[in-house]
Amino acid sequence: MSDILLNIKDLHAGIEGREILCGINLEIRPGEVHAVMGPNGAGKSTLSAVLTGKPQYTVTAGSIEFMGRDLLALSPEERAWAGIFLSFQYPVEIPGVSITNFMKTALNAKRAAQGLEPLKAADFLKLMREKMAFVRMKPEFAKREVNVGFSGGEKKRNEIFQMALLDPVLSILDETDSGLDVDALKIVADGVNALRSPDKSAIIITHYQKLLDYVVPDVVHVLKAGRIVCTGGREIIEKIENQGFDQF
Amino acid sequence: MPGHYLDTALNRAEALVVKQQLQQVCILRPGDTAAPLRIVAEADSRTDLTVIVMPGTDADLTIEADLAGENASLRIAGLYVCGASERVTVHTRVCHRVPGCRSDQIFTGIAGGEARVAFHGTIVVAPDAQQTEAYQQSRNLLLSRQARVETEPQLEIYADDVKCSHGATAGSLNADEQFYMRSRGIPEAEAKVLQMLSFLSPVLEGLEDRDVLAAELEQAIRSIV
Repeated sequence: MSDILLNIKDLHAGIEGREILCGINLEIRPGEVHAVMGPNGAGKSTLSAVLTGKPQYTVTAGSIEFMGRDLLALSPEERAWAGIFLSFQYPVEIPGVSITNFMKTALNAKRAAQGLEPLKAADFLKLMREKMAFVRMKPEFAKREVNVGFSGGEKKRNEIFQMALLDPVLSILDETDSGLDVDALKIVADGVNALRSPDKSAIIITHYQKLLDYVVPDVVHVLKAGRIVCTGGREIIEKIENQGFDQF
Repeated sequence: MPGHYLDTALNRAEALVVKQQLQQVCILRPGDTAAPLRIVAEADSRTDLTVIVMPGTDADLTIEADLAGENASLRIAGLYVCGASERVTVHTRVCHRVPGCRSDQIFTGIAGGEARVAFHGTIVVAPDAQQTEAYQQSRNLLLSRQARVETEPQLEIYADDVKCSHGATAGSLNADEQFYMRSRGIPEAEAKVLQMLSFLSPVLEGLEDRDVLAAELEQAIRSIV
């Protein structure tokens, strides 16, 4: 296996016949945190949708390799089993399905794909409590319906909880900082930082630098009009903060 | 336990008179038949009737309810899961005869295969029945192009101080919801089962046997996916 975890080459993709990504190249190595910044409409959310296999999006050219596999040939659930996780910009509400049931189904599906037995109920509950505590979610949320009646901060915290429980190799955080106050932002950032390790990587998609004050990226990309127009280190964040995206 | 309803609600010749409180869940399974049911809700009474039609069951349900005493409330919920060539027809007629009563009709279900489902719901508000609240909802999930759902609300309102509404929806499984689940590693087929359970869940709210019923419905849904 190469030392590249995710390798995006000349990716063209869009929705309903409209091209949004116009030739993306991106390489992520194990352990790296990459920030993808850009103005509204740059294609940030399309990138996360294409990486996770959202059916409405079409890839018209290019390739994505994840841990040496052709990612584009995998279904969304197969990508999850392979270790990709997306923290949604707008987490979906699922009335009538409890967080416990939802996550038990998700985790055991992943285990089944790996040839493992389902986790015993007691072991699952223990694991779940541990991960909920980790993002400071109250235990009673276990019984709540997924995202129903959650505040913006609670929804994002729930995303990070799911991320911690599923233990992905590559986490994609799509505008996880939008709509969060400073306290919620810190909890989310603590969660993300605690999950950093030499073999785990993350892509943080954002148009503010807020979250990047707490989760410090190794590489920063600027995405504009469907292309990566600038790649560098943290100094780019400051440039954006001072002069916006027009300079690129 | 739900399921032994035939002796109680849907299989009786005389009207079911509710003086205080009645909560009942009736489950129709293949081969069951239901006689027309007439309910009379007396003053201050609370009636909550849920009829569940399981996969493979042809059903022709007629439910008439008279709100005959002031301040009575009535909820009739119908729930169906059809995946093959079932024929389910429901006729309801809820009649507000006196002031100050409330009625809710919720008809919810899943139609797949070549199932045909029809809901004809009538609300009558008599001239004297002021301060009536009467609501009717029909929510349908279509799993195939061949399945058909027909909803026909009919309102006959002869009083002027009433709150009355009806609504009908027919749709397919929500794509965003499905993608959210699949992105967590839940396989597509399993995601659909959860979505259908989610769709039916409002009908079970507040029922004593909620968990038992949810488990039975989950089985029913699995049998048609």
